[in-house]
Amino acid sequence: MAAWLIHAKLQWRTLRCQHQLFKDYYQSLIPLIDQPISQAPLIAIDLEMTGLDPFKDQILSIGLVPIENGVIPLSHAQQKLVQIRGSVGQSAIIHGILDNHLTQAVSIEEAMAWFMEQTRGRVLVAHHSPLDCRFLQQDILAIYHQAVLLPAIDTLVLEKQRLLREHSVLKDGCLRLGACRERYGLPIYGAHSALTDALACAELLLAQVAAMGGGADISVGDLLT
Amino acid sequence: MNASELQPVVQFLTSTAPFDTFSEELIRRCARAVIIGYYSKASGFVQFDADAPKLYLVRSGAFEVRDPEGVLLDRVAEGEFFGFSTLLSGEKVVNRVAILEDSLVYHFPQALFDQLRSESRHFDKFFTRAFAKRLRHEARFKAKDLTTTSRISTLMSSSPITIDAHATVTQAALLMRNSRVSSLLVTDNHKLVGILTDKDLRNRVLASGLDGKIAVHQAMTTSPISISSNALIFEAMLLMSEHNIHHLPIIDEDKAIGMVTSTDILRGQGSQPLLLIGEIERQRDLASLISVSKQIPLLLQNLISADARAEEIGRVLTSVTDALTRRLIVLNQQILGEAPMAFCWLAFGSQGRQDQAACSDQDNGLLVAEEMDDFAKGYFDALTHAVCAGLDQCGYMFCPGNIMAQNPKWRMSLNQWQKVFEKWVITPEPKALMHASIFFDMRSVYGPQSLFDALQDKVLAQTKDNDIFLAGMAGNSLIESPPLGFFRKFVLERDGSEVKGIDLKHKGNALINDIARVYALSAGIKEVNTAKRIRALMDANILNRKDALNLADAHEFIAHMRLSNQGYQHTQGLKITNYLMPDHLSSLVRHQLRDAFKVVHDAQSGMKMKFMRSF
Repeated sequence: MAAWLIHAKLQWRTLRCQHQLFKDYYQSLIPLIDQPISQAPLIAIDLEMTGLDPFKDQILSIGLVPIENGVIPLSHAQQKLVQIRGSVGQSAIIHGILDNHLTQAVSIEEAMAWFMEQTRGRVLVAHHSPLDCRFLQQDILAIYHQAVLLPAIDTLVLEKQRLLREHSVLKDGCLRLGACRERYGLPIYGAHSALTDALACAELLLAQVAAMGGGADISVGDLLT
Repeated sequence: MNASELQPVVQFLTSTAPFDTFSEELIRRCARAVIIGYYSKASGFVQFDADAPKLYLVRSGAFEVRDPEGVLLDRVAEGEFFGFSTLLSGEKVVNRVAILEDSLVYHFPQALFDQLRSESRHFDKFFTRAFAKRLRHEARFKAKDLTTTSRISTLMSSSPITIDAHATVTQAALLMRNSRVSSLLVTDNHKLVGILTDKDLRNRVLASGLDGKIAVHQAMTTSPISISSNALIFEAMLLMSEHNIHHLPIIDEDKAIGMVTSTDILRGQGSQPLLLIGEIERQRDLASLISVSKQIPLLLQNLISADARAEEIGRVLTSVTDALTRRLIVLNQQILGEAPMAFCWLAFGSQGRQDQAACSDQDNGLLVAEEMDDFAKGYFDALTHAVCAGLDQCGYMFCPGNIMAQNPKWRMSLNQWQKVFEKWVITPEPKALMHASIFFDMRSVYGPQSLFDALQDKVLAQTKDNDIFLAGMAGNSLIESPPLGFFRKFVLERDGSEVKGIDLKHKGNALINDIARVYALSAGIKEVNTAKRIRALMDANILNRKDALNLADAHEFIAHMRLSNQGYQHTQGLKITNYLMPDHLSSLVRHQLRDAFKVVHDAQSGMKMKFMRSF
């Protein structure tokens, strides 16, 4: 998506939106679009879900890892577990989240308020962002009755574009987070959680930006999808 | 937040020195303080922010640190640090750090670094590279209190019982009765002049029909054999058994500070090396000596597995070699008859320095008192061939360079030896010196001390303050330099090349031996053992205390690594070599070895400054 188009969309939303929370959110993003990627405040996110269908499945946990001035300060990395309706069921095996872990969990309402608060003034970064964004949009719609626009930098798309530019053949699985990291010589992380995957995604973005030449002349808008 | 949440970071810190010693809670706190950055190879060099100095921990990738002149200082990879010298000194970054590979780096802010230094001694030492202290600390934990390697000072009575030489023997006998001792140290002006024992009172007073009014100095044993306070118990035992005595005064700088008796020593347990030496002294023919010497490798392994100090292992093993040599000389003289003149059996190289280890070969020579006539030539030819062959059969291989007493070239009169040394000293050609340096570490294993002293005194008089000779020796020893450190599975040389293993002898201990030799020869110091040379140089203020202690510690540490590596090779059934492969070294040991190499390198530079300035 062209930067001017995102600009226009955000301006429009800021004007039209009735809900102050989202009005503020859009407004906070506008000045970031033209900032160099190496200086803009970003936030890598990752969700764990009970499945892949945003209409049927639920968010289990959310990991947030901010990126500031091109580095990742871990002091602000956070994770929240989210209460779900019913049992975690089969997916517990996948995510390693047991029912009793969810006793520390917050309600989805609380989680979304926290998410909007934490991401204000920061551009989202995710690996395969449409999936995460659809889950977030679905829950926000249910809670706030707002169809929210969540502009995000997708590390998967950035990688795909790079590989296609190099005329590489895209093999099965070559765009998975782990496979992308391997190409940049980033360490392999064994355990998966929303937080470690968000961290993995944030590190991948730093590597991708470095490979583009450091990002001083690349704006946030250039990388948004 | 629970621990599992930043798991990749926590896990990495847990396996990285010096964080590996921290509590879980502290590691979690550190993980939280990390700022992650990415460095692309294409950007060339790390840009340092002068306003916010940091500690850099490499998570993946590699960097190269060079000083402003471009000299390679270090190559760092996963789990290693840079940037701490600035944090420690508070000075501006002057080194250049090149990015060798795309790298992920953990940054720690100065505030946390300072806080961790004040909270954890281990962390502080790791970065301040309190090298000597750290190694000594290590040694304290490691070196076991082995009977065979304990110091004599641990056994002696703290306040020696002394009597003036002019007192009467009655006064002496009273003192002995009241103190319940069997011997007294006799002093004159606080200087030890003799000892008086029960046996002396019986044999020299009563049995000679004298009365108790005679002076102590008339009954005492004059100029008793004594031992230094930092000698090993084992060496005291050896001395007692050699001279068949039961009392040994302990001397510190000419002053008698105590006494040990054979009973004191026997109270401790019988020790294996001494038993072995005792056995050697009892054997009556070559065949049985060969069979006894089969125990030597086992003795070495026992000492290594007991974690004795490397210096002491060297001294113990050399004592066994000395005993074997002496026994071979005695046995062969029984066959050949009395020697036609006085002679000294000279030990050179590692036997001379008392630092023999596994698979030492022979380096020896023969010093005879006068020019040999044909008979003497024939006699010593037969004797030396028999002794050298005996040593070879006992496991001390013939010297590949033929530096052996059986080689007529190294069988000379005092006069001839003096001339040979003089030639080396006056015309120090590099090649000749490399060969000759082995001769400057000489010690007499058998024969009259005065004959040996006559040679050594002459040699030292020629080498002392002899600038040209010393510059030649120093230059020679600078041909080799210690490695810089390690990079991943490899040893990093100073020119930046990476090699698979390190020769701890030739790139470590031998370099320290060289340095100690040059300084000792420059100052006319008689010691040949490297640790003793360094100590003497420190006492004489030729090396400053800090440098000397560091060098001695580095020598011990590298030698210890070499021996434990050989112990490992032995238990794995591998060939025994001086090569250490860095792949299975812990990160702490890598750092310590690196520090030790640095000490050696600094000492080399110091030696170069001192002896090669004008050349």
